[in-house]
Amino acid sequence: MAVRVDPENNETSALFDLADFSGQHVLEIGCGDGRLTWRYAGRAAHVTAIDPFADGIARARENLPRELRGRVEFHHIAFEDFAAASEPSTFDITILSWSLC
Amino acid sequence: MKPEGMVHALEEIQRLLRPGGSLIDIHPVLEAPLIKVYQGGRVLFAEPSPAYDYEEVLRQAEDALAQIVQRRLFVIERNGVFDFLTHGPSVAELRDFWAQAGAYSDSPKDEAVTAREAELYARVEEIMQATGPGAEVVGHERARIARLRPVR
Repeated sequence: MAVRVDPENNETSALFDLADFSGQHVLEIGCGDGRLTWRYAGRAAHVTAIDPFADGIARARENLPRELRGRVEFHHIAFEDFAAASEPSTFDITILSWSLC
Repeated sequence: MKPEGMVHALEEIQRLLRPGGSLIDIHPVLEAPLIKVYQGGRVLFAEPSPAYDYEEVLRQAEDALAQIVQRRLFVIERNGVFDFLTHGPSVAELRDFWAQAGAYSDSPKDEAVTAREAELYARVEEIMQATGPGAEVVGHERARIARLRPVR
């Protein structure tokens, strides 16, 4: 038996209660291995998920479900560098995924 | 994220969001997570983790959010709290998972905290062995989730 993260889906329920991802362009900051990304990405138009830790991003890319290819992109980058290279008014939703602190 | 960068990061997020967009912030509440032992949905043991050493950085995150709301960069539209549980088949597997996920801070822990943590996990292992198959060790955190709207 493997480690199970939020099998109760409390985080996903809380997230869907607050945000409608339909057709939205999403930036997820601190995506880690994509644990949360998989849960909402199917509803979004496009997801850009970033994390400064290479190991997590490598696992996220390996585990990217086939049906989400082309819709989700993972970048190994610190937010400050990502922001400096990004145009204003690019995203509909930004998720700070346990990453502000 | 480093404390001095939190407010700047929130300013940058405001810049990157389209008008009418949303920032969803998820972060732990200011309380120690619980380490529990479950069997068949029953809680056999629960104690606060002695390794809760990130209260200061959580306060800084709360302060940064309060600051950007006070400056009218964002308004909080809704918020709530949820329970976030991570279930492991053994202490070693759960702790390995947390280490891989980067859940531990880089700063060295106080020796007394490390000793209390080792003692807690030894007790958890004893209980799990005594309980037998089906016992799980569970990290139980509470998290705050908020939706903020950028103000232009």
